[in-house]
Amino acid sequence: MTISITALSVIVIIATLVASLTPILLIALFIRDWKKGCLW
Amino acid sequence: MTGLDDPILPTSIAWGLLAAFSVLWVVLGWWLGRRNKTAEDHMLAGRNVGLALATATAMATWVTANTTMTAPQLALQLGVWGMLGYSLGALGLILFAPLARRIRELMPEGFTSGDFIRLRYGKFTWRVFLVVSLIYAFGWLVSMAMAGGVLINALAGIDYRVGMTVILTVCVLYTLLGGLRAVIGTDFIQTVIIIAGAAFIAWLTIDKVGFEAIHFNLMEERPELLNLLFPAAIMFLFNNLLFGVGEIFHSNVWWSRAFAFGRNVGFRAYLFGGLLWLPIPIVAGFIALATPALGLNVPAADMVGPLVAAEVLGLTGAIVVFIVVFAALASSLDSLLAATSDLVTRDIYRGHIRPQASEQHQFHATKVIVVLLGLVTWLAASYRGELPIVGSLAELLYFTGAFVASAIWPIVAGLYWQRANPQGAAWSMILGSGIGLASYFLIGFYVAALVGAAVSLAVMVLSTWLMPRPFDWGRLARPDGEVVA
Repeated sequence: MTISITALSVIVIIATLVASLTPILLIALFIRDWKKGCLW
Repeated sequence: MTGLDDPILPTSIAWGLLAAFSVLWVVLGWWLGRRNKTAEDHMLAGRNVGLALATATAMATWVTANTTMTAPQLALQLGVWGMLGYSLGALGLILFAPLARRIRELMPEGFTSGDFIRLRYGKFTWRVFLVVSLIYAFGWLVSMAMAGGVLINALAGIDYRVGMTVILTVCVLYTLLGGLRAVIGTDFIQTVIIIAGAAFIAWLTIDKVGFEAIHFNLMEERPELLNLLFPAAIMFLFNNLLFGVGEIFHSNVWWSRAFAFGRNVGFRAYLFGGLLWLPIPIVAGFIALATPALGLNVPAADMVGPLVAAEVLGLTGAIVVFIVVFAALASSLDSLLAATSDLVTRDIYRGHIRPQASEQHQFHATKVIVVLLGLVTWLAASYRGELPIVGSLAELLYFTGAFVASAIWPIVAGLYWQRANPQGAAWSMILGSGIGLASYFLIGFYVAALVGAAVSLAVMVLSTWLMPRPFDWGRLARPDGEVVA
C-alpha cells in the first residue's frame, strides 16, 4: 500500500504551515503575557 | 554516527556563528538570572512562568539534536512512517499535560520528581528511583554532549573534542549564571530559531524540487519508503512512542517545569507544546525524501538533513542548519544540566548528605553541582568509545530505554491510584529495568523499553491488587514533611 502524491503533499504542507505559524504564535503569546505582566 | 569527508560549512564561518551565539546565550543567561536570590528562584524561576515561555521551553527541550538530525535519517531509512513515527514523540508531551496539572495541585511547594517519590512511596522506592533517574539523566547528558561534538565536526570540520567542549562550556556557564530562568528564556529564542529554520528549509525544498519529482523518483528508486505497511517502520513507531512517554513521565526536566509554571499554566503549556511539536519531525524529516530526486549520494544516513539543505540552498542552507543544530543542542543540554543539578542538590546532597542545609546553602550547592556535572559529562564524552557503555549515541540512548520505561507506571499509579503499593513501585522499577536490560543484551536494543514497561506494569498492578496501601494525598503538600520509610 503506497502513499499517494496527494496524501504526501497534504501531510507535508499542513505540517510545514503549522511549523511556519508556530514562531508567530509564540511571539504573539509572549507579547500578550508581557503586556499582562505575567511573563514570569 | 560518522561524519562527511568534506564539511558543508567553512570552518571560519562556523567559528563566527559559534562565538556570536555563545556570547548571546551567556549574556542573556546572566541578565535573566541577575535577580535570583534563593534556591527557589534559581531552581524554579519563581514558580510563576507564563504560557508563552512555558510552551516554548516544553517544545525546545523536546527538540533535541536527534529531532533535527535523526528525523531526516529515519525518513531516509523507514520512509513516510519514519517521520510520522518520530512525530508521535509529541504524545509524551500531550499525555504529560494532565499529569503536570495534577503535580502542581498535589505539590504546590514541590521541587523535584524525587520529592514526589519520597513522600508518596517512602525512602526505599525513592533511592531506587534516584538510581534509575540519574542513570538516564547522565546518559542523556553525555549523549547530547557527544552529539554536539560529532555534529559540529561533521558540519564544519571543527575537532570533535573542541566543539563538544565549547557547547558544554557555554551551556554550563549560562545555566550557572541564571538557573532555570536563563534556561527558559534562552529556550524561547532557541524554539523560534529551530522551527523557523526547519520550516524555511522545507518550503525551499518543496519549491525547488517539488512533490511530483520527489514521489516519482522514490517510486523508481526506493518504493519501500512510500509503503504504508513497512513492518520495521511500524515497530519503530510503537517503540519510539513508549520510550518518549517514559522519558517525559519520570524525568526531573519535565517535573521541574511542572513546579515552575504558573498555576493553571502547566496543562495548557504541555498540550500546546505537544501539538506544536508534532509537525516538526515531519518538516525536518521530509527533506530526506528528496535525495533520489536530487541525485544525492548520502555517505552517512544521519547527515542527510544537512546534505539536502546544502544542496538546495548552498551556503545559506549550511548556515541555517548549523544555527538550528546549535540551538537544538543548547536547548536540551541546558535543561538537563539545570534539572539534574536540582535533583542532585535536593535529593542527594540535602536528602542524604546535609539534611539541615539552609535555603542559601542549597542555592550555592546547586551552582557547584552544575559545574561538577559539566565536568563529569565532559570527561565521559571526551573518552567515548573507551568506556564500556558510552560507545555511540544510539547505543547509549537505547540502553537507558529499559530504565525510563520501567518508571512510567510507578509515576502514573503514584499520582492517580490512592492504594498504589510503595514496595511494588520499587520492585516494578528494579525488575522492569533488570529484565528490560537483559532483553537489550539477549534479544535486541529495540525491545528494552517495551519489556521494561510491560514487566513494570505487571509488578505494579499485581502488588497493589494483592497488597493495597491507602495514601493520604495531603502529605504531598508538605515537601519537607516526614515520610513513612
